[in-house]
Amino acid sequence: MATTPYNYSYIFKYIIIGDMGVGKSCLLHQFTEKKFMADCPHTIGVEFGTRIIEVSGQKIKLQIWDTAGQERFRAVTRSYYRGAAGALMVYDITRRSTYNHLSSWLTDARNLTNPNTVIILIGNKADLEAQRDVTYEEAKQFAEENGLLFLEASAKTGENVEDAFLEAAKKIYQNIQDGSLDLNAAESGVQHKPSAPQGGRLTSEPQPQREGCGC
Amino acid sequence: MSDKDDIETPVVTEAAPILEDENCEPAKNSGSLDLSAKPESKSEPVVSTRKRPEFKHSSDLETSEVLPVQASEAAGKEAVSKDVPQTGWGYWGSWGKSLLSSASATVATVGQGISNVIERAETSLGIPSPSDISTEVQYAAGETNAKESENSSPVSGPFGVFSTISTAVQSTGKSVISGGLDALEFIGKKTMDVIAEGDPGFKRTKGLMNRTSTLSQVLREVKEKEELWTSNEVTIETDKKTHYGLLFDEFQGLSHLEALEMLSRESEIKVKSILNSLSGEELETLKLELEQLKEAFSLAEFCEEEEEETKGDEDFTKEITELFSQLHVSSKPEKLARARNTAYEWISTSLAKPLEKKEEGEKQLEAEEAEQISNSSIEDIHAFAIRSLAELTACSIELFHKIAALVLHGRKQEVSAIERSRALSQMTVLLCKELSSLSKEFTTCLTTAGASNSASYIQDAFQLLLPVLEISLIENKTELPEA
Repeated sequence: MATTPYNYSYIFKYIIIGDMGVGKSCLLHQFTEKKFMADCPHTIGVEFGTRIIEVSGQKIKLQIWDTAGQERFRAVTRSYYRGAAGALMVYDITRRSTYNHLSSWLTDARNLTNPNTVIILIGNKADLEAQRDVTYEEAKQFAEENGLLFLEASAKTGENVEDAFLEAAKKIYQNIQDGSLDLNAAESGVQHKPSAPQGGRLTSEPQPQREGCGC
Repeated sequence: MSDKDDIETPVVTEAAPILEDENCEPAKNSGSLDLSAKPESKSEPVVSTRKRPEFKHSSDLETSEVLPVQASEAAGKEAVSKDVPQTGWGYWGSWGKSLLSSASATVATVGQGISNVIERAETSLGIPSPSDISTEVQYAAGETNAKESENSSPVSGPFGVFSTISTAVQSTGKSVISGGLDALEFIGKKTMDVIAEGDPGFKRTKGLMNRTSTLSQVLREVKEKEELWTSNEVTIETDKKTHYGLLFDEFQGLSHLEALEMLSRESEIKVKSILNSLSGEELETLKLELEQLKEAFSLAEFCEEEEEETKGDEDFTKEITELFSQLHVSSKPEKLARARNTAYEWISTSLAKPLEKKEEGEKQLEAEEAEQISNSSIEDIHAFAIRSLAELTACSIELFHKIAALVLHGRKQEVSAIERSRALSQMTVLLCKELSSLSKEFTTCLTTAGASNSASYIQDAFQLLLPVLEISLIENKTELPEA
């Protein structure tokens, strides 16, 4: 199990939002496990996934909050947006209703996160071309109008799944680099870990050293 | 809305100027009293899980009563940034300590580890949860402290104790801020200092504004430190296996805790704003109901029969499932039960092995050989134990988080918030006992710090559910549309 390397420099909090059944949990599963989960149970509240990725040579740990899509959980899931650095807003290209609800999801995302939160629109189930109900172009246009990144992806085949998470991370990282994202802001959604190879302190405030427990 | 709650806690409904404005705030306590025992000076990991209020108390224990508060205050100050990189047991010890001191619920644990005196006080009095303390204090403040007389009845027990506390507190001339469960948000911060200065109203608001530190944050810091040390150490592989904090995070315990805190916080805010919008009788009634809810949230049964320890797998599974069903939420504790049972299976097989060998062998060689065997497996056992505790704790926190989500999302409630609270209290007790007995299984090679940490996390998480239940009570009652 001890697979997780601990030497990353940043932690980004992501949330995945969108209607029930669009494949949020499957996208996460594909991303973290590289597997397609054929039938996955409804998410209660929120589930979590983590994975470490690399952007510009920096290791970044993504801490992903996969929220419940069921309408009845909406009030609950709104609580989870706070402090997200990235948001994956997912719809199902074969169900127009899920696309039509995007503006409501977007409103939540905008209102409940900070202005720097990177939002990426994802049209999932891109493998089901035959049942397509939403064109790439219109979604693309919607994304542009609203300043969102955009990709069509398939949790089933894995197509673009990596990219979806990575693109958002790159954008966030870029925001950090150019200074538009203030790491010290309370809810930036980003934690910087000083990768101090020789036992640097995490806290600036020195504390009186206590006895070191002899047992 | 089945109100079959036979609340036989006719508790002091009288005065209860609870929930006054100053109330719902971080329970702080006057860091006043002069106590001698300094928690930090004790290096040993704490042993048992916390005990909670029992029904009978004597009211003569003011000093010791307050002790834990102080302990927490003092401990809190050093909690967060103690980064003395240590390894092995020493490391564990201090880690355990800093962690312990960082959460309010752990106050008692720390105290307990520190001295028997405290422990005695604790068992006889119970260490009230922060919210209890604050409520009570308020209580007593609003009323006269004529409460002691009620000590004799089981029901009023806690109140008697509390009024004692508040009396003590009052007599010091320090003001105490009443509050809610979010004491834990502040532990480890300087808040305590601030509080001691008085001016509850102001402080309270201030606290509200910069709640910069939550339990999950504190835990996260600890975990990060572990990561840091871990990555610096040569023996990364083996070492990592025994870092409770890292494992707890790996099992998503931290994340669930953070999520639970978010729900708790929001519920608390809603409750407050609703209370602010009410007045007159309506307000009084609601306050009363909320008070009853809080009582159901005390872990009164904690001290009962510690003896009946070992339960069979089915027993635990059955019991937790039963409690769960009382909550009427559409979720099952299967994951938790599975994790728990796996742990016990592992223990029983690993315990079996050395024993067999011992029996086979001749007596003399035995000593050495057995030693070797057990030595070689100690690391494994240790690693597995820590892992199990971390996993079980994470599962428990996850469960509480899910319960919060489910309680909040449901509109119609077939069961009252109070009934749920009772089931939750019992569940908390059950889980803590379970962790404690699991850890006992490892006694010979384990510091029990893991268990007490675990129990503390669970109890903290439990307290986080209070506002959630409060808002559910209110919404259910007033039929407010869910926002």
